Amino acid sequence: MTATPILQLRGIDKSFGPVQVLHDVSFTVHPGEVTALVGDNGAGKSTLVKCIGGIHPIDGGEYWFEGERVHVHSPRDAAAMGVEIVYQDLALCDNLDIVQNMFLGREKRSGLVLDDATMEEMAAKTLEGLSVRTVKSIRQQVSSLSGGQRQTVAIAKAVLWNSKVVILDEPTAALGVAQTAQVLELVRRLADNGLAVVLISHNMNDVFAVSDRIAALYLGRMAAEVKASDVTHSQIVELITSGRSGDLGLAHTNGATA
Amino acid sequence: MKAGPSQEEIRRHNLGTLLRHVHIGGSTSRAVLADRMGLNRSTILGLVSELASAGLVREELPGDTGRAGRPSLVVRPESDRVYVLAFDVGVDRLAAARIGLGGVFLDRRETPWPHGGFDAGEVAGVLAGFARQMVDTAPESTFCVGVGAAVRGLVRRPDGLVRSAAHIGWEDEEFGELLTRRLGLGLTVAVENEANLGALAEHLRGAGTGCQDLVYLHGDIGIGGGVIVDGQLLGGDGGYGGEIGHMVVNPRGGRTCGCGARGCLESEAGERALLEAARRDPSATGREAVRAVVEAADRGDISARAALHDVGDWLGIGVATLVNVFNPRAVIFGGTLREVFLGSAAQIRSRINSQALAASREHLRLRVGELGDDAVLVGAAELAFSDVLVGPLEALARTGG
Repeated sequence: MTATPILQLRGIDKSFGPVQVLHDVSFTVHPGEVTALVGDNGAGKSTLVKCIGGIHPIDGGEYWFEGERVHVHSPRDAAAMGVEIVYQDLALCDNLDIVQNMFLGREKRSGLVLDDATMEEMAAKTLEGLSVRTVKSIRQQVSSLSGGQRQTVAIAKAVLWNSKVVILDEPTAALGVAQTAQVLELVRRLADNGLAVVLISHNMNDVFAVSDRIAALYLGRMAAEVKASDVTHSQIVELITSGRSGDLGLAHTNGATA
Repeated sequence: MKAGPSQEEIRRHNLGTLLRHVHIGGSTSRAVLADRMGLNRSTILGLVSELASAGLVREELPGDTGRAGRPSLVVRPESDRVYVLAFDVGVDRLAAARIGLGGVFLDRRETPWPHGGFDAGEVAGVLAGFARQMVDTAPESTFCVGVGAAVRGLVRRPDGLVRSAAHIGWEDEEFGELLTRRLGLGLTVAVENEANLGALAEHLRGAGTGCQDLVYLHGDIGIGGGVIVDGQLLGGDGGYGGEIGHMVVNPRGGRTCGCGARGCLESEAGERALLEAARRDPSATGREAVRAVVEAADRGDISARAALHDVGDWLGIGVATLVNVFNPRAVIFGGTLREVFLGSAAQIRSRINSQALAASREHLRLRVGELGDDAVLVGAAELAFSDVLVGPLEALARTGG
């Protein structure tokens, strides 16, 4: 479980014009583990994720993947390495069914026509591999699915491509308790199947329920990367709100310590 | 003096082991079986054909393996031919299921059962009624090879005497014998504590698969517990081991528990404690009431949040002790504790991280049960199958197959 990290960022800097959003951020993700990425609004979580996904080019620092230094210039580069991101809005098309959504833009062809049979089989296999039993038919339109089922489809879509790292942005926000439970179980299962999962969440119960490691961002800096078995709830809250907690966290915190 | 196991004993052992592999693991190729059991392929072939001619397994071509060469046949359990009956005597429901080899639910019956009226004879009567319906509607040439029942109480080993089941008012009830007589199937009913069976089920088929050391907590009207140590269910001297719900966590300030002690985990973190702390209507109990508290907390209800915070704290204190004592790989929260865990994981984890020894908690996983409400029935079925898996052919011969 503590094998070499699959994804490692070292000293990442990122600015938008005059505003520096990420300062010297390092971030490590291990296969078979759920790494929770926590931080207050504006701490830089989404920017960091978009840098990993190749949407924003990084200004400085190193991006290592499977032990090799890589240069990621576009989402396509990231996808080719096996990094998939599920955004909060899920980006599913309501007027298409589950299979069509899962293969959207990457459809399988046989000759000139779409290879529906293969796509259906792959989609069914992926959902089965995740023990998803809540979806009645994979030919169901996405508009007819509940919030939890949509999240499930979006996650399955990310897993379909033999991805190695799956990043989930607030997957349980706006879900009820029962559906949250389903999604969290799925998150855990992804990691148990050997994937590296990054979970962005504001809900401390979700974070402590499934994660193996917790990384806390504070005002664009990585305050701490800790194992979930070594910290308490209040320490994480302190890291999020003030960047440090006891021996953990940043040495100097932009004057926000007092 | 005996020189060692005879050839016949070895063969019986191998037959049982092979059947267990496909019963738990599902379709498995002969090559994989040979590898796992450390036997050569021709021995496996012999064992498989013996089990196949008894109708316990079937061989078939696997789906596309994507590899070159002639695929090895897969051996799968014959779920339609032999089955067991599993019973669950709940606090507010009675459930029964007919479960085939391989753990497949073939049929099930359930009825709500009001609080209070728990005459053991009446319960056995209802369950025997379910059993008769299910056995009668089972296809011909199928037969029952075992019966297992779960009760919420202390069950003596090996005879299955229910020493006490406080929630349903039983005391020294010979429930197993009673049910055996009522069923009239010629099979002895194996009785076991419900949380022990939940632990067994999650260990074999759920969140604890592949995990040799685990602790299972089952939330119901109380808190039941089951402990798996080195792949075996911890029973203790009389079979009463693993009563985690009655581990005292708060002896001075705690509430009085149904068992008479003060500050048991069950009285501090059980359903009643949660509902009272959240100031819920005392008449509404059960899973729905617990879920409502978790949902209210999620929406921001302050008293619900405080209640979950407290209950999570006590659960964490209890689990931290269990982690120190058993050093489990996983702690699994089942029954209503599933919802409670998801609503208070931060408290539970924090307590464990500050109270359990660093080395013991290092690789600890906290999980929710995967089998949901079926865990107890699945466990009861596994108990019922145990005879067949020890000596498949002998067990069949006994039941007339």
